[in-house]
Amino acid sequence: MSEAPIDRSRYQCPYCATTFDTFDELKSHVIAEHKTEPLRRPEGLITLTINGEAYEVLVEPNWTLYYLIHDKLGLTGAKMFCDRGACGSCTVIMEGRPILSCMTLAIECDGMHIETVEGIARAGHPLIELYVKHHCMQCGYCTPGFVVTAKALLDRNPSPTEEEVKKALAGNLCRCGTYPQHVKAVLEAAHEMASLSEVEEG
Amino acid sequence: MIEDIKEMPNNPMEHDKFIPDTFNILGKRGIRRIDGFRKASGTATYTRDVILPGMLYARWLTCPFANARIISMDTSRAEALPGVRAVLRYDDPEIHGRRIPTLHGGEEDILAGYAYFQGQQVGAVVAADTEDSANEALKLIRVEWEERPFVLDAREALEPGAPLTRPEWWPEGNLLPLFFQPSSFFRFGDVAQGFKEADKIIEFKARRRYHGCSDAEPLSGITRWEGECAELWLHHQHPYEHKWMMNMWFGMPMSKVKINSPYNGAMFGGWNWIDYGMVPQYVSALLAKRTGRPVKWIFDRRDDFTFGSLDAMESEFKVGVKKNGTISAVKIKSFFANLSFEAGLHFLENSRVPHVESETLVAQVNKGPVMAIRCEQLPPCFAFTHVCNHVAAELSMDPIEVALKNDGADGQDMTQLEEFKRTHGFPVRDSLRECIDAGKKAIGWDEKWHPPGTRKLPNGRMHGLGFMWDHEWDENRGAGAAGLMIQQDGAVSIIALRSDVGVNAESTYCSIVAEELGMRYEDVFLRQQDDVHLPLMTPDGSCNLTTNGYVMKKLAKRGKQKLFELATTTVHLIERDIPPAFPNMRPEDLDIKDSVIYAKEDPSIRKTVAEVVKDVTGSFVQKHEYGAIQNTTHEPVYVWAYHRQGRLGKEPGRQRLCRQAHFCEVEVDIETGEVEVTKVVNVNDVGKAMSPETVEGQQYGGTYMGVGRNRSEEYVWDPQTGVLLNGNLIDYKMNTMLDVGPIETIIVETGLGLGPYGSVGIGEDVGNDTTYLLHGAVYNAIGTWVDDGPITPEKVLKALGKAEE
Repeated sequence: MSEAPIDRSRYQCPYCATTFDTFDELKSHVIAEHKTEPLRRPEGLITLTINGEAYEVLVEPNWTLYYLIHDKLGLTGAKMFCDRGACGSCTVIMEGRPILSCMTLAIECDGMHIETVEGIARAGHPLIELYVKHHCMQCGYCTPGFVVTAKALLDRNPSPTEEEVKKALAGNLCRCGTYPQHVKAVLEAAHEMASLSEVEEG
Repeated sequence: MIEDIKEMPNNPMEHDKFIPDTFNILGKRGIRRIDGFRKASGTATYTRDVILPGMLYARWLTCPFANARIISMDTSRAEALPGVRAVLRYDDPEIHGRRIPTLHGGEEDILAGYAYFQGQQVGAVVAADTEDSANEALKLIRVEWEERPFVLDAREALEPGAPLTRPEWWPEGNLLPLFFQPSSFFRFGDVAQGFKEADKIIEFKARRRYHGCSDAEPLSGITRWEGECAELWLHHQHPYEHKWMMNMWFGMPMSKVKINSPYNGAMFGGWNWIDYGMVPQYVSALLAKRTGRPVKWIFDRRDDFTFGSLDAMESEFKVGVKKNGTISAVKIKSFFANLSFEAGLHFLENSRVPHVESETLVAQVNKGPVMAIRCEQLPPCFAFTHVCNHVAAELSMDPIEVALKNDGADGQDMTQLEEFKRTHGFPVRDSLRECIDAGKKAIGWDEKWHPPGTRKLPNGRMHGLGFMWDHEWDENRGAGAAGLMIQQDGAVSIIALRSDVGVNAESTYCSIVAEELGMRYEDVFLRQQDDVHLPLMTPDGSCNLTTNGYVMKKLAKRGKQKLFELATTTVHLIERDIPPAFPNMRPEDLDIKDSVIYAKEDPSIRKTVAEVVKDVTGSFVQKHEYGAIQNTTHEPVYVWAYHRQGRLGKEPGRQRLCRQAHFCEVEVDIETGEVEVTKVVNVNDVGKAMSPETVEGQQYGGTYMGVGRNRSEEYVWDPQTGVLLNGNLIDYKMNTMLDVGPIETIIVETGLGLGPYGSVGIGEDVGNDTTYLLHGAVYNAIGTWVDDGPITPEKVLKALGKAEE
């Protein structure tokens, strides 16, 4: 994200009006230049890394991670389907694990590294093109959740068996019934990535 | 070429006369889906994703009781909550007692002071800065309710003295007038005669429980006003019709309504057909007007369980059958909840059964409205499949033999259909037999078929084999319009508004245009979301491709003509004439392939479409951009086309010729009652598969939906309170990846469809048919019927005498 939603004026020094990108910079400045007590960190201010980009945002305690990334940051690949942790459509990867962003409070994600489908696509992960090739989407609403879950699987298990793929994706619901195609795409992605890394190693 | 267009069949009884001998694109695998990258990468936008500056969120109060009336309501605390911008009350002077016209000729309360099922939207709508504030405000509304007695069962609702389920709407009783059917009796032939001719009479009952849509994207919509103009974002199947609605509701010209129709998260009909489905959009438009802000109405997952499928039914069957498996008469009496569709229909359209009588009784019960959810043919599938299953079982016959003995139409055998094929330009092929031959082989029918309840597997479970058959939904009706423009860089735009319902439609429409126009597939594009005022056939419920496919064919033929005219016509500018791209040639001297136009006589004389259509003064090339923008040298290559394909799906005399057959294998655990579906084979004669991957998607996709419905999908109400207990996707069980064994999809292409290239649609029928696929297989496994869908473990155990009724 080139335009991280940082409100620069929020970190204006109350003594000399200099502005800062982050709260920590302001804090250091106040201590160093004005020799005063450090300012209290605003409640609800969290920093997190999403798709490799740093974000610093003020969140309400009731915001879910889904609400933050979908409604506030505009990463709309995470979808609201079941609204209750039943379908996997809002899946993102946090610290390497696929998690349900609708069941995670944003305020608890301070310091976390998060990967969304947008990041996976931008990185050119082979899953995306193989999803297109194998028609893994019909209406497409649940598709990003599958992609993210599958990517997390391949990260931790680069050569899964068919059964392992099914088990990993069994928590993702698809009303159109695209299920058989995901297995094909994920297995082919694993194969493709293995060949690629062989070439690289060779 | 012009002649071709004139002769393109408008009469839906005729076979497409313009089918090329070979295809470059259509029918080929590996055609890249147009929406694929956007949908896989999360960039495809759905209405739920749209957030506008200053947008408010509208949420509804819902009724906690199954049948109740508001005595008084205090919204003052909700109105005082920070962030709340408007509260619309049922007694608001602008809407009190008013009903609004809706699609399909209905009308509906805008906001009632009474509710007929638990969870019904009622009494108040709050518009607030955030969804959370709106929900918070709803909790602050105090309502004094008058609770009323309720009825959940259709038969009970029709008993004398039953409480009124909809006292304000139907004070005279709970029996509903029929909506889809002209009369409560559907008859052809003479059933009494048919029973006399029978060697055996079979009687049984069957039931299907209320189930629902569980559409992926929860319902929502947005209205924004710019002065007297309105802009709508719709998660709805009928985008163009909303212009009509805005005209009727607000008296505004349709020209001042702009529609955005983003991608749809799985629709399957349902909500789009319920009159009530229009009300939230009206309310959002009203609230947007009052507040001066865009208003997005939002249903949460529980709200989505407001409606269900119209096959919540219970039927009594009496069937007359001859020893050889020919059915001589079928008599059905069906009780439906809230809405019906004719259960006897497929005997008329798909069999030679000469005598049929089907009685329909519809009771209003205190459950949400029901509609066609992939699709209205569920009741006829239910009746047809149960009857064929029982006939085979009673005669100890192979159900496949029963199918072949009864295939036909209008009470007549295959002779009539063969004559129809001959006289209307179709190939004379036996679709059902071809489907059966392919499916039997794939499932290993002959090796695996056994008498009911006789094959115990090494794992201790009972093995069952199931089969069902039907016609394909050759609905083939309706009308569509679209434009086609070749841009100055040679890119072809299909210009039309439609809703993304069905699978991979954009790619298929582009394939047809590319094929017929001679363009490369990647040079043709459709952005169906945009309001361009030309409505393509958007799912009226059942048909798209078979109608829109003809629109695409016409567009391409007209576009080609226009392109060749441009290529051979001198452009007269004021100061000079510019010779055509192909001087001294006539349009008919040219042809086009892979986006390159060439002379038929000498293909070395060739130019790309881009070279032909570009601004002929070449002002861009000469860096005179001003001239290019202000003063294009020729009119754009723009054409439009309209096609009407029949009226209501099946006019008298018109026949459905394509068939489908489905096979399955199950294992039933007689200790737990669990039914495991270990294999399904879908065989569909789609006439012509324009995009084979898409056809297969509808096959396995439909199977996942249908098998889930057949095994676990059911809304459960508490009989004591009338409260829906499983209005969420944890307790309402739809199929996951692990719930069906391998699905083998087989496409048969007989060319027997009424659509373009001899095609039929396939979007609804597999999901429909497989909703009843397992009954025969479970009977074959355990030797006793579970004719009450879904086939839950509890019902299997009851059928086996292992659990109490």
